[in-house]
Amino acid sequence: MTITRGGGLAGLTRQTEVASDALPPGEAAKLHELVEGAGLLSDAVPRDAPPTHPDEMSYEVTVEDQGRARTQRFSEQTLPDSVRSLIAWTDSNPERPPG
Amino acid sequence: MHRHEHRLMHRCGFPRGCCFIAPPFLLDRLAKEGNAEQQQAALATMAQSASIRTRRAMLTELVRTRGMDVAALVPTAGAEDRSVYDVEHGGYNDLPGRLVRSEGGPASGDDSVNEAYDGADATYTFYKQVYDRDSVDGSGLAFVSCVHFGRDFDNAFWDGGEMVYGDGSNHLFIVGSLTKAIDVIGHELTHGVTQYTAGLEYHGQSGALNESFSDVFGSLVKQYSLGQTADQADWLIGAGLLVPEMGGQALRSMSNPGTAFNGDPQPAHMDDYHDLPDDNDPRNDNGGVHINSGIPNRAFYLTATAIGGNAWEAAGQIWYQTLTERLGSTSDFAHAAEATVEAAADLFGAGGTEEQAVQKAWEEVGVPVAVSA
Repeated sequence: MTITRGGGLAGLTRQTEVASDALPPGEAAKLHELVEGAGLLSDAVPRDAPPTHPDEMSYEVTVEDQGRARTQRFSEQTLPDSVRSLIAWTDSNPERPPG
Repeated sequence: MHRHEHRLMHRCGFPRGCCFIAPPFLLDRLAKEGNAEQQQAALATMAQSASIRTRRAMLTELVRTRGMDVAALVPTAGAEDRSVYDVEHGGYNDLPGRLVRSEGGPASGDDSVNEAYDGADATYTFYKQVYDRDSVDGSGLAFVSCVHFGRDFDNAFWDGGEMVYGDGSNHLFIVGSLTKAIDVIGHELTHGVTQYTAGLEYHGQSGALNESFSDVFGSLVKQYSLGQTADQADWLIGAGLLVPEMGGQALRSMSNPGTAFNGDPQPAHMDDYHDLPDDNDPRNDNGGVHINSGIPNRAFYLTATAIGGNAWEAAGQIWYQTLTERLGSTSDFAHAAEATVEAAADLFGAGGTEEQAVQKAWEEVGVPVAVSA
């Protein structure tokens, strides 16, 4: 899974990647649960992000599962709580690099 | 009316707004269907929250059909009116959150709340004393600040009606830093000023101008509060907010774009303009609005230092008139350069040192302006 965040007050683009096969089994299961719960594995038409308010961030989440990649985009306003929780969980991973 | 709804409305008994902002749908119902007391309370609560209050048309209509006095509900022009809410780590749908401090109210035990409150005051005071502007809309619009947005949230933004601050994560922003920077607070509130004046669209060159005006006036709020001349100012935006690993001093440098931190992408000249696509890809920053703002930022820095003295006086006046009277929603750099030169001539006389400083500044960043004799 790749989370790309852009815009924001700093105007920076940051990419966070998580590979479930690099995680301990419990964490990998948690990741799968969060991703699925957020509807990121569904085959619904991919969402694009609407224009943002000033200094708002926008998000792109790409999930690769069994050879298929699905990408969805969100603005701060359209970001579902489920995806927000997924991002927060990813950020709390101790191996997260600076930025 | 259900007992539950009645309880929400009278939760704390304060005459102005409640401790808990009832959701918009509930306020709508009470405003339309409640008894006279509930209608008054619902409309007053709606008037409190800037984000709900953007539905002015509905509010005005309700008040008109119910025969109530709008002026009595909306904050009085000429009075500072700040409130700070705690989003309690909620997301967008939880805005504004729980009211924790009102105008004139006691300090909170929460530093972020007090910093947002004080920073809003510094910005209000700056605009009022220097440009005689009463809040972002010029008519005393309430300053609503919302702190503790999201979890480990590395950002602050303007959502069209209020300022929203995250806590930072210690991976990009130092935790607790976003509300400490008075220039960041000024930057966000200036997006509101721009919204009510030029309305610069937030993409491409108009977006980069939008960003630049926020940096300009954000920096001026800081300089004004510190009593600094243009020579004394550090011309940095968000100094000390980034974690040391980012290798730098600030988010942006107006004097030397591109030097604020490791990998700072800002250009200082049109030759290095980043022509990013204006799409919804997060990587493209709406066509590089935070990147290309370096060019007009430097033009302001050059103007202010060439003129000398306090930057908010001559240079700031020129930029303020430009933003509030001369620019439109699709203005580009060339238009802004021309407009600032005309503003300088208008304010300080054609051919004066101010006009010359402005023209020279834009020339130096690669946006030449032809000045008619």
